[in-house]
Amino acid sequence: MRGATAPDAAQASIRATIDQALTSTDSAEQTKLIRSLSVTGGPYAAQILALWREGNIFLYKAPDGKKIPVTLVETKDAQGLQAAIKVIDGTPLTGPDGKPISLKFSLLESAETDASLRKAIKDVNDMAALADPDVKLRIRAVQSVANEQNPAKLPALEARLTLEQDPLVKRTIHESIALITLKTGEMKQRIAACVELGNLGSIPSQDALKATVTSATKEGQADLAKAADTALSQIASHVTFVNTIGTMFRGLSLGSILLVVAIGLAITFGLMGVINMAHGELLVVGAYTTYVVQCIFGPGLAISPFGFSFSIPGFHATGAAYDAYFILALPFSFIMAALVGVALERCVIRFLYSRPLESLLATWGVSLLLQQLFRLTFGSNNVQVDSPSWLSGNWTVNDILFGWNRVFVIVFAVLIIVLTWLVLNKTPLGLLIRAVMQKRDMAACMGVRTERVNMLTFGFGSGLAGLAGAFLSQVGNVGPSLGQSYIVDSFMTVVVGGVGNIIGTVISALGIGIVDQSLQQILGNPVLGKILVLGAIILFLQWKPQGLFVTKSRSLES
Amino acid sequence: MKLRSLVKTSLFAAAGLLATTSLHAADTVKVGVLHSLSGTMAISETSLRDILLFTFDEINAKGGVLGKMIEPVVVDGASNWPLFAEKAKQLLEQDKTAVTFGCWTSVSRKSVLPVFEEKKGLLFYPVQYEGEELSPNIFYTAEAVGQQATPAIDYLLAQGVKKFYLLGTDYVYPQTTNLVLLEYLLSKGVPLENIGGGFKKDETGKIIAAGKYTPFSHTDYQQIIAEIKQFSAGGNAAVVSTLNGDTNVPFFKEYAAAGLTAESCPVVSFSISEDEFRGLPAKQLVGQLGCWTYFQSIKSPANEKFLANFQAWLAKSTVPGIVKEGRVTCSPMVLSYDGVYLWKAAVEKAGSFDVDKVTAALESGISFDGPGGTVTTQKNHHVTKNVFIGETKADGQFKILKTFDNVYGEPFLKGTFKAK
Repeated sequence: MRGATAPDAAQASIRATIDQALTSTDSAEQTKLIRSLSVTGGPYAAQILALWREGNIFLYKAPDGKKIPVTLVETKDAQGLQAAIKVIDGTPLTGPDGKPISLKFSLLESAETDASLRKAIKDVNDMAALADPDVKLRIRAVQSVANEQNPAKLPALEARLTLEQDPLVKRTIHESIALITLKTGEMKQRIAACVELGNLGSIPSQDALKATVTSATKEGQADLAKAADTALSQIASHVTFVNTIGTMFRGLSLGSILLVVAIGLAITFGLMGVINMAHGELLVVGAYTTYVVQCIFGPGLAISPFGFSFSIPGFHATGAAYDAYFILALPFSFIMAALVGVALERCVIRFLYSRPLESLLATWGVSLLLQQLFRLTFGSNNVQVDSPSWLSGNWTVNDILFGWNRVFVIVFAVLIIVLTWLVLNKTPLGLLIRAVMQKRDMAACMGVRTERVNMLTFGFGSGLAGLAGAFLSQVGNVGPSLGQSYIVDSFMTVVVGGVGNIIGTVISALGIGIVDQSLQQILGNPVLGKILVLGAIILFLQWKPQGLFVTKSRSLES
Repeated sequence: MKLRSLVKTSLFAAAGLLATTSLHAADTVKVGVLHSLSGTMAISETSLRDILLFTFDEINAKGGVLGKMIEPVVVDGASNWPLFAEKAKQLLEQDKTAVTFGCWTSVSRKSVLPVFEEKKGLLFYPVQYEGEELSPNIFYTAEAVGQQATPAIDYLLAQGVKKFYLLGTDYVYPQTTNLVLLEYLLSKGVPLENIGGGFKKDETGKIIAAGKYTPFSHTDYQQIIAEIKQFSAGGNAAVVSTLNGDTNVPFFKEYAAAGLTAESCPVVSFSISEDEFRGLPAKQLVGQLGCWTYFQSIKSPANEKFLANFQAWLAKSTVPGIVKEGRVTCSPMVLSYDGVYLWKAAVEKAGSFDVDKVTAALESGISFDGPGGTVTTQKNHHVTKNVFIGETKADGQFKILKTFDNVYGEPFLKGTFKAK
């Protein structure tokens, strides 16, 4: 009951007005009654109106033919009935005998809303939300009040401005006041409003300013037209700035996705020289592992591979505990994909180290097998992986938007690179890996168990693919053919960076990402950018067939 | 051992099936079902096969059509468009089906169209499409643009939306629909600069494409969302989306991450129905709009009976590989169902299975009280039906906001709206 603090008399009058509107059959009168609440109603009215808007207020037909608006309590009794509460005074609905009446939800007629009524309700909600404790809701409310450009709302905004502490909300209120004055103030005020909007670089006011330019030119108000025009060009340069930084950030995040996806391949293909066409399916293993972990945290899961059926019970966690599933899913994805990778290496790839073409065909076959296995186990439909709430928000600075999921992937990519670097350069295993990759025979002579090192290296590369899969579940679909859409990108990134060179992969991934996003921004076409990038890569590889960084490794000399 | 016994059983089953069909050949009528049961479209089209088989069983239980039992001939188009034409030829030449129900994508329909015209067959097509086509051998129970896209625009305009961003998957349905919508918006007085997504013009300056298009299974919507965010900053904006299938997931994930909501910038999608929600995170789509000629949430005795019968049929069904859990119904399914009953009524009116006579009966105007309300066939091979605007709920169902009664199906809309 947030904010339900209005005095009882005021509450009663609000309830009476809403009740009157609910029982009225005239749409215009309904709208008028609700609009009358927009200044006085506050959160209390907003709360009841929200129920109406969502269809949770019902019109109960009393025996005498009168319609009584009621709400239902949440708890159902044994027959599935819910006790009814009258809207007019908040007391239980009673029959002629004075006993409370319970009603069946599915048999009730809910009070309808039409477009103008919904707008009126939204209006009340916005005005109430001006004082909402949540900053985001407050900003949204201020903006939608401003978009209406209704001078009657100015006092409410000005009152809020004196109370407001948050700088971002303050800026939005200034912007909104200027927007309203721009439409309705006197000439001097309107020009001042233009100047203010220009200085604020207010993106939302562009439409209003354009309209001002048109109308002012028509009516010969040269000063106003000029002021609005100046404001527009100021805002345009702000937009260019926002777009440039935004594009760089988006490029970085796309590059990080490419990097995360390709880093596993940079090890299995780059270092070991195995053309692993099943790399995409290792991503999918990670993604499905995330799905399974999520289901275990949530409602549980029933899967039926090959006609057997398993059912895994769930913990039914909610809120932050449920959101934590993703943290746990990361190591599990790594382990599962690494296990699948090790099995793949033991069963198929170890026989084919000296025959790259056969390994290409064999792993392609494995990828088809795995895809069908996913289909049989999880069905051919995509499965739903929820984003934890801490990954689905954003951080806005100066109109530049940094989505949490994008920030996360960049951090994630950095961590994976550091982890890979540490494993390869600072651990005994890394030393063995490097030794075997440089000269297998010599390493074997020195007593290194090359077979085992191969297996572990391949497992590590596969595990990294699994981690990437866990991340991909947060930005897109999880389905049996997820891997197919990333396999080409992965090979492209590794080849451009220079086979066998991790740093090359990092630079090529980020480069491809930023170029792709910039071209999208410049050309305004999501596909053309990618085509140009691919074309450029073809030309680049003609010039430098070994990629950005050439690795001097004996294993690649042959 | 196991494998061998499995092979044996299935051989017996197949033989048994053949025996029964030949036994009853005299008092059955063959009806074709031409949908993709494998490949990318299988997810959507398998549901249509299921509903068709259910409808046939329902009709057969009540004595069939003109005293003959319906004998379905199910073939798999395998999401392969040339194969659709081959399968259509097989249905018409070899099986001599009296009528065929099938196709989902426009390209599959375009691929079978010449076959049906040449062999004088009859096809019922059930999925929303772009119009600009009228074959004498096809009956379109599908939503034409005027039965889905333009009512949705009317609804948004009434809600006070002033700016529209057009976004779609890059193929014939979104491209054509958006061109019609562009004309429609201009005719409603929406200025060109308030229509987002970009335009492509030919050398004479005429607009040949409107809106932003992404390929099938596109995953990176960052740039487009940033554009929408700025487009909608001034308020009163909406996105009109013809994005297909699974690209909706990355789109809506990015949309939510950018802080856009159904309140600040609603998305009306023409390709998301209840069935698609089985593979989409419904929670992130709460409050977004859909527009179809049927929603599962319609409260009517006809719909309740239909739902109960379908679920009962599913529970008993022995169709191999059929999904029984969590099944829902959606507009393409109901339009398939309506199509079968319209055909039945036409056959009974004509007193014959002959394609020409049945077509004539259909053209004369036949009504059927379906789950979505009464549907009536028109002379132009389309169907008059009710149109509903719905708002997505967290359980993947729609709450109906507005109903347009008896909307006429008109395939040729391009060029009919004049800009103000």
